[in-house]
Amino acid sequence: MIDEKTLEIIVREVLTNLTSDKGTQNQQKTASSSLPKLDPKRDYPLAKNKPELAKSITGKTINEITLQAVREGKVLPDDLKISPETLLAQAEIAEAAGRKQLANNFRRAAELTKVPDKRILEIYNALRPYRSTKEELLAIADELDNAYGAKVCAAFVREAAEVYERRGRLKGME
Amino acid sequence: MRSKRFEVLAKRPVNQDGIIAEWPEVGLIAVNSPNDPKPSIKIENGKIVEMDGKKREEFDMIEQFIADYAINIEMAEKAMGMDSLEIARMLVDINVPREEIVKIVSGLTPAKVVEVVNHLNVVEIMMAIQKMRAKKRPGSQAHVTNLRDNPVLIAADAAEAALRGFDELETTVGITRYAPFNALALLVGSQTGRGGVLTQDALEESFELTIGMRGFTSYAETISVYGTEQVFVDGDDTPWSKAFLASAYASRGLKMRFTSGTGSECQMGFAEGKSMLYLEARCVMIAKGAGVQGLQNGSISCIGVPGAVPGGIRAVAAENLITMMEDLEVASGNDQTFSHSDIRRTARTLLLMLPGTDLIFSGYSAVPNYDNMFAGSNFDAEDFDDYLMLQRDLMVEGGVSPVTEDEVIAVRNKAARALQSVFKKLNLPPITDEEVEAATYAHGSKDMPPRDVNADLKAATELMEKGLTGLDVVKALAESGFTDVAENVLNMLKQRIAGDYLQTSAVLDKDFNIDSAVNNSNDYKGPGTGFRLSKERWERIKNVPQALKPEDLA
Repeated sequence: MIDEKTLEIIVREVLTNLTSDKGTQNQQKTASSSLPKLDPKRDYPLAKNKPELAKSITGKTINEITLQAVREGKVLPDDLKISPETLLAQAEIAEAAGRKQLANNFRRAAELTKVPDKRILEIYNALRPYRSTKEELLAIADELDNAYGAKVCAAFVREAAEVYERRGRLKGME
Repeated sequence: MRSKRFEVLAKRPVNQDGIIAEWPEVGLIAVNSPNDPKPSIKIENGKIVEMDGKKREEFDMIEQFIADYAINIEMAEKAMGMDSLEIARMLVDINVPREEIVKIVSGLTPAKVVEVVNHLNVVEIMMAIQKMRAKKRPGSQAHVTNLRDNPVLIAADAAEAALRGFDELETTVGITRYAPFNALALLVGSQTGRGGVLTQDALEESFELTIGMRGFTSYAETISVYGTEQVFVDGDDTPWSKAFLASAYASRGLKMRFTSGTGSECQMGFAEGKSMLYLEARCVMIAKGAGVQGLQNGSISCIGVPGAVPGGIRAVAAENLITMMEDLEVASGNDQTFSHSDIRRTARTLLLMLPGTDLIFSGYSAVPNYDNMFAGSNFDAEDFDDYLMLQRDLMVEGGVSPVTEDEVIAVRNKAARALQSVFKKLNLPPITDEEVEAATYAHGSKDMPPRDVNADLKAATELMEKGLTGLDVVKALAESGFTDVAENVLNMLKQRIAGDYLQTSAVLDKDFNIDSAVNNSNDYKGPGTGFRLSKERWERIKNVPQALKPEDLA
């Protein structure tokens, strides 16, 4: 289990990684402007009250996506994928509303925004019982960690590997 | 010689129901199995080392997951030290706010939370539901399916269900390969009936996520969890794989909830001799620990099992209550058919309909019973007017609105034509004018002309292979002149980048405003507080078209 403090540190690290990965000053500004605490009463729903925080992984905000833009072919499928920053903002709102576990789910989700659709499905299937050896699960954890900076998810998969070993749910144990 | 009285009784519908005496060894017991553990907790160095009489080294996967993710350690010792009866009384005390109970429950183990609700009689369970539901306004969900997976009919039925006021629509398939068409038809139909209705297509987990990623659905709920490790594994998952799946959905901006229900472990043969409600409390806490915003429970597809044992239907309401106490959205079942008796099925639904839940049905069959591909529902399309009368008689919000025949015909026709245009633009097998006409006036799939199933299945597979997405649907609608429907479908797609509807109990109104437990939380504190029927809403509910008016009689 990951305690709250470690999780917070990891999330901050990830947030920094995400913004420095993209590098542009503009995006860094957006990320840091989301740092002041969000207040569910004032800021939720984001689409209405903080539309600048409701944006896609490609950086398009919700108000930029119009029927006109779709018709002109200016909106691509990736423009409808949620950004990690938006998920972290929703995590803050969930936390402020007293929902820690939901917030942590959004934080894991923020990490997974970088993982391609196909790979997400493969990892899910690998986590099903009797599908993977311990080594295979640990390799997935390393991949999440190194290729995607998904530290919380990586720790979660490592934990699964331990539990599956203890309970006899690894490949070949059925 | 037989008693004529008993002969008459033997022929009553209720006597076609299978009922059974308690049999704790196999888990055929609603509550209080002699094998249920006694509540306990021991914490060392910020870690739970003993829970409900079991040491950490002996924890199965579920127990480890609950201990490490679902229980709030800071509250645990205090909450576990409280008298269960005292907590039970707080649940029905109007002077104790919902938030205070949620805080206490966050520190309870599964055995303890069950001990608390076991103190409540069925009226007290309803009182507690009225207060503990996360969102202020109750709503409902409908099933839209048909025996032949006819997409034109799905679109028309979805439009009608949306017009009738359902917040969410769920479809599934007869033939799996039809799945993309069913999802597409449900999307177009729902957004024709009313913008903002959420839609899902119940499928195998990976495929369901794929359809969601493509933008053909906006949420998912058939992500099953179970209360014993063996049944969980037989269901081909673990708490870790399901929690990962939960994050995967959120990572694409898709709303989701888990599904569980009393009786599933018993039905799948590994209840470990535990009571149905105890095992279900574990499921609720797995959902809580995984961080999903909600849970569909209320026995669901196993309702025949609790429905057959003493106190079973009370336990089913209690499992919905536990979900609310854990601060999760609840889609409270009332779905699969469980009784031949109209009296029993109505009584079962009133337990949730009267106090109100986030989604009273999950779902109400908006199609005839023979077209319901979820093995029927407790209420069907044939029961629409009965249900509306229950709302009107009892002055209760049941999440459904009266409609006129004219407006239903109009909206069904528009949805069928909208789908016809989308099929044309996307080069899918044509929808004929004859099919549009039939779907406009149909009651069920028996009223529809047959389609070329092989051509449909081939095209549905190609649609996935070609990588078409929700955006292609928006374009097709806009280019065919269905601008309002195109706007609505696009607005549904935009929800996924805002993420607002990922929060607890979130649904959308016709103007795409969010209504959730965050901005509209349940503040019930007795008479005069919480959800009340507004004057406008009561006007709507009471004015069923068939009511005689003074001017009709003059």
